[in-house]
Amino acid sequence: MINCEFDRRRFLQWTGAGMFAAMSAQLSLESLASAATDSPLPANTPILVLVTLYGGNDGLNTVVPFTDPVYESARSNIALSPSQLLPFTDSLAFNSSLPSINTLYGHNKVAIVQGVSYPNPSLSHFSSMAIWQSASLTGLSSGWIGRWLDQQPHNPFNAIGVGSTLPPAFVGVKSVASMVDVSGIQLPWGPVASLLPRLGRSSSSDVALEAAAATSITDLYSTASLLGPLVPTSPTGSTLGQQLSLASTLINANVPTRVWEVNLSSFDTHTGEQLDQNALLGEVDAAIGEFMTSISTGSRANDVTVMIYSEFGRRVASNASDGTDHGTSAPVLLIGNGVQGGLYGEPAPMSALDPNGNLQVTTDFRSVYGGLLHDVLATPVSDIIPSWNTALSVH
Amino acid sequence: MRPTSSYEERLVTARLLHRFNFGPKPGQYADLLQRGVEATQSTVLECGLADPGLDSVAPLVLANLGPFPQGNTPVATAFWNTIELDSGKLVMWWLDRMVMADHPLTERMTWFWHGHWATSISGVSYPLTMQRQNDTLRTHALANFEDMAKSMVVDGALNVWLNNNENYIQSPNENLAREFMELMTLGVNKFTQHDVTAAARALTGYSTNQATGAVVFDPKQHFSTPLSILGTRSKLNAESFASLAVSRDDNARFITDRAWFRFVSGSTTAPASLVGSFASRDISSLTSALVRSPAWTNPANALVKSPVEWFVGACRALQVRPSSLNTNDTQWELSQMGQLPFNPPNVGGWTYGQAWLSGVAFQYRFELAQSIVAKGAPGPLSVPKLKMVQACADWLGVPEWSRRTASALAAAVGTPSELALAALLSPEYAVSA
Repeated sequence: MINCEFDRRRFLQWTGAGMFAAMSAQLSLESLASAATDSPLPANTPILVLVTLYGGNDGLNTVVPFTDPVYESARSNIALSPSQLLPFTDSLAFNSSLPSINTLYGHNKVAIVQGVSYPNPSLSHFSSMAIWQSASLTGLSSGWIGRWLDQQPHNPFNAIGVGSTLPPAFVGVKSVASMVDVSGIQLPWGPVASLLPRLGRSSSSDVALEAAAATSITDLYSTASLLGPLVPTSPTGSTLGQQLSLASTLINANVPTRVWEVNLSSFDTHTGEQLDQNALLGEVDAAIGEFMTSISTGSRANDVTVMIYSEFGRRVASNASDGTDHGTSAPVLLIGNGVQGGLYGEPAPMSALDPNGNLQVTTDFRSVYGGLLHDVLATPVSDIIPSWNTALSVH
Repeated sequence: MRPTSSYEERLVTARLLHRFNFGPKPGQYADLLQRGVEATQSTVLECGLADPGLDSVAPLVLANLGPFPQGNTPVATAFWNTIELDSGKLVMWWLDRMVMADHPLTERMTWFWHGHWATSISGVSYPLTMQRQNDTLRTHALANFEDMAKSMVVDGALNVWLNNNENYIQSPNENLAREFMELMTLGVNKFTQHDVTAAARALTGYSTNQATGAVVFDPKQHFSTPLSILGTRSKLNAESFASLAVSRDDNARFITDRAWFRFVSGSTTAPASLVGSFASRDISSLTSALVRSPAWTNPANALVKSPVEWFVGACRALQVRPSSLNTNDTQWELSQMGQLPFNPPNVGGWTYGQAWLSGVAFQYRFELAQSIVAKGAPGPLSVPKLKMVQACADWLGVPEWSRRTASALAAAVGTPSELALAALLSPEYAVSA
């Protein structure tokens, strides 16, 4: 039952490095507010939206190789029936919980990258998510978007996570992303309210974490001044739907943000997988469908690329609890009006599994990131991912 | 009377009180500064003594609610309402214990172990089953880790949470086997997938009554042939598998690192001597070695207080019993800050450090502080205004205010409740520097 962040030992040190991000230069409340209102994101600037599925989404029941005999034989208790499939090639179908994504695929707006993982995949939620979020196989102590942030002129709006705790991918060596809560922003009230901004000022005697605590106060006020009027105080919809709805509202308002993160948990389907995964995928599909509709009718219709990924796929053979245990490679979906839809990379063959009964890896996720860094964030891949310069472009 | 304490003495005393005792009760910090660091070390380690504060929290008796009701009937509605109500009672009962305890080490260690064996009511559903796990963690909180591991591997809540009810010989479910080794006893990369497969077999034959947490062992459903795990080969059941994992050297390093990480620092590592203090898997000797570690004078060993630690500390300082606050509001605000007891986000436990310090979290920190101050006794009233800001640091166990905070607090000395609120929301109180 894993569904969220990881704090494994190696990773603890990893996020530990995030503490030092607090030492980055802080801008005053006034300068933040004016920078945000005076400098909206320039037209045609590409935007990346990361959709993290925590827990390990079963790729084989998402993009289904329904004609492969092993699919039926290895997982007869959870294999999707023909009525639960939306075929889009002779041998591949979307889970029928994904009707909007199937439609978008038909319009060439969905790239499916097949067999994505990394060499010697870890079956640990925590290690594997750490690898994905750091884009490092060797325990690099920062997130990949965090390192990109480190290279940008400091601005708390460069990257925004929707929620109240930061995804590790968004923690750099000297910069961290901001957060915004789906349920709106309520500034402190009452007689003491006028004192609180003073507590957010930096002080030369602060240790790094005290400086971070002070920054959190300033961040609340600066975020409220820019985003507050745009955020509904009583959101409706599913967990992911609320997050993506907020993101689309803010994107359409030209908030100067290049990278967003939203997430959904509970993909760790060791038991009763069909029911749970179909419901979760249905939530993803509805939220993505609404998001793409909103974006496509707004000012940034061609600017946005969505990446949907999870820390691993699941075992090819199901277990007796009508679920699956931890696996390896799985497809990554990239969606956007500027995306060249279709299949990318080679499918991982169901007939040639690794000694644990898991799929082989045919595409390294760092190539997918490489494409996004190049095409969306206009940043040389090797500046962000050490010793890596392969880019799989879907644009 | 001792001379005025040095900054280092103030720092060490504050660290020990906040990290091992949920922060000082009013007057305690100033008192311990007078008595010195050794006396503080002994004080925070006190347990098993008469505890009138803890005794003032009435025992919580939850009913066995039985199996899940079927269908969408009035009975089902009443059932889920009771689950929600009992769940709130359980959270507030535990928070009351943390706040009211005069010798809070046992509650503090139980809290540490809850994060370690991170089990969420979101998967278990029944507050009674969660309470039984909580009792087990408290029983072993400062005792022997092997005994704790043997109890926990057959704990009902953990077995439900990690799907051991669905782990059969014919088709093992690996969830408990893997996480028990990776997250609870050995650490990542200290075992192989082969070990996981074998351990899952050792864990077959146990079934849990989800409503009560009672676990029954059926030898006929248990995989009874010898298993090769972690380089050994023998017949294993859940308890002997737990003992095997705990007997590994990796276990001493892993648990010591976990304790160091949560109590001391995320940026420095535990010295080998500390691992040695856990050689016999005695948790109290590890705790004692931590408390008496020279690490407390190292400025690098700062930590962010987790939301619950911050909240409990504030309630202790203002003498507010959490159950006297609005249960729903308090639970909502803690969960928005990212940490509600019995609801860890996943089996890896809660996050830490800077992740607790988002602007969004500050919004809810303010709301909680507001409700605590409205209910509580706001600190030092009997000193002249000129000395009030310093008295406030002594009251809350803050080593030193920055000039920023001192000047902001000085503007509030006219109204004790405003002074208290601003102090609780200061960067210095959010962090155990």
